[in-house]
Amino acid sequence: MRHIEEGESAVKKIVCIIGGFIILFSWFLFGQELTGKDIIARANDLFNVDSSYAKAKMTILTTSGNTRTFIYDSWSKDKGEKNLIRYLEPARVKGQATLMLNNADDIWMFFPRTQRVRKLASHAKKQKMEGSDFSYEDMGGGDSFIDDFEPKRLDDEKIEGFDCYKLELTRKPEGDLSYSRLLMWIIKDNFVPVVIDYYDEANPDLWLKRLVQSDIRIVDGIPAAMKIVMHNKLDNTQTEMEMLEVKFDLDIKDEMFTERELKK
Amino acid sequence: MKKITTCALTVVLLCSLLPAQEKVDLFGYFESQFMGADIQGEFIQLYSNKLRIDLKFTPSDKITFAANFDYITYHGKTLWNILDYLPATASEGIPEEMRAFYVLPFNDRKFLDNAFIKLALNFCDLTFGKQQISLGTGYAWNPTDVFNTKDLLDPTYEQPGHNAFRADVPIGGSATLTALYAPGEDWKDSARMVQLKSRISHFDLTLIAVEKHWRFHDYTKFDAAAMDFLVFPERRRLIGAATAGEILGVGVWAEAAFNDMESTKDFYELAVGMDYTFDFQTYVMAEYYRNTLAKTDYRDYDLNDWMRMMSFEQKALCRDQVYVLAQHPAGDFIQIGISSIVSITDGSLVLVPMFTYSFSDNVEMLAYLNFNLGEEGKANSKNMGNGGLFRIRIYF
Repeated sequence: MRHIEEGESAVKKIVCIIGGFIILFSWFLFGQELTGKDIIARANDLFNVDSSYAKAKMTILTTSGNTRTFIYDSWSKDKGEKNLIRYLEPARVKGQATLMLNNADDIWMFFPRTQRVRKLASHAKKQKMEGSDFSYEDMGGGDSFIDDFEPKRLDDEKIEGFDCYKLELTRKPEGDLSYSRLLMWIIKDNFVPVVIDYYDEANPDLWLKRLVQSDIRIVDGIPAAMKIVMHNKLDNTQTEMEMLEVKFDLDIKDEMFTERELKK
Repeated sequence: MKKITTCALTVVLLCSLLPAQEKVDLFGYFESQFMGADIQGEFIQLYSNKLRIDLKFTPSDKITFAANFDYITYHGKTLWNILDYLPATASEGIPEEMRAFYVLPFNDRKFLDNAFIKLALNFCDLTFGKQQISLGTGYAWNPTDVFNTKDLLDPTYEQPGHNAFRADVPIGGSATLTALYAPGEDWKDSARMVQLKSRISHFDLTLIAVEKHWRFHDYTKFDAAAMDFLVFPERRRLIGAATAGEILGVGVWAEAAFNDMESTKDFYELAVGMDYTFDFQTYVMAEYYRNTLAKTDYRDYDLNDWMRMMSFEQKALCRDQVYVLAQHPAGDFIQIGISSIVSITDGSLVLVPMFTYSFSDNVEMLAYLNFNLGEEGKANSKNMGNGGLFRIRIYF
């Protein structure tokens, strides 16, 4: 009987030790705070899927209440390093296309009526895309969030109804994006950046634009925002992008991102 | 010509009546344009309306048929005697009975501008028919382009189509070899072109060779039999290169061509440009152009120089010029800008303030003024008058 009691006591001790180990290990595994670099890396992966196709509707809303609507097809490959955009509507720009390679360091524009392809220098990335609140560099993919900015994690916040990590990305001296810093709110559950604030290149306190992503759906296993709105804080205008169709991880050939395809 | 027009109209109408043909695209634009100029105290105006109908049929990924039909009507002052606007030194000595031959008429036109079939094979694209031939990297001037001459007041306006067979052969991912044959009356009268376009680092590079039958006219002598000025056809061989890229964040491009002429003197053309967009969205651009066929002293500009430039036989009157442009988005869908064409050779210039407005998704307006600020006899002389243009275009 005593022998049995001694055995039970030993089992209890082992269970306690194992339990303690599990608690310690769990704390080690999950209790570690994610750093800004970890979070932005996860968000960057979401932004830059291997390949994608989207058909989008872009609506520009001006201060005077006027709107302009564009519909375009876009393809990307190699985590956003290659991009091709071709306008479908309105008739005024139908057939115009933009090819961006090397993370938009190389840009070519095609004008169908003259069949002319024009190479643009990288400063053209600063230009507004068809007069919208998106610049070409806002549209380009690649690893610029990682390569051009230094992340710093701030206190978590709830925004747009989501529990979010909040990051401040400060441009590195060698960074070539035309923003001095970004504030980014990233949803804890899926690492989708739900809000991004853009600040002026010369004046880090001057708030230029806010991007808000919403209607997040799982497409081909990847969370994707079906609606993106860019609010221009200086001009009080906004541009809304609605995804009409999205596909990820497609087999897109490299030939898609050539001048030959641009002129199709 | 009438047959071509009828055929084109028939094709367009047939296609518009075939809604079942889902792959047939019918689009285009209507453009209304007013030009006015105060020339030597007289205000003259020319009004034009243009309807462009585009048709595109893509029965498969590998076959495309595209065409466009243009109908243009002119109103107002449709007969311009060029001599009225030339310096006295150029026009003096022309017998009174010949002056009527220098009248430039703006007649209503209807024509098939582009009409081609494009076959996209695995190893190349083949294009047959009337098509756009856009060559070079220059914005205002393209030394390597012997097929088109741009209007310096409106350099991005579409160019006419050219009859040609063309093969574009992709080589690797970034190079293309293009061969083009533009048939004339016979082999000698036809144009041939070979072009290799590639990419090195962030620069596009193009090498080009063209052989074309060229026609200089002598605008001081009239050929009564041909009812035209005397023409001197000769073989023109061009070898050139073009590049476009970026240095220290500034966009740069260059284009050069040497022209080996069979009878007249050889010459070269060079265009070098740069552009930049500031953070505050202002875009600036400058392009220098040299043409050694043109004169170095404005007192040597003669009637042939003026007439050959106006009839696009040569691209410049003065040897060295600069085109500068600044543009800025000035509000909702409004762009304002100013461009200037400066003749370094004779010190004259033309100033062109401009304004564009996107009135709605498919309606855009363009307006510009042009002020010639040069002494009489110079390339941009006050004699050419000050004027402007207003254009409204609706796309469908």
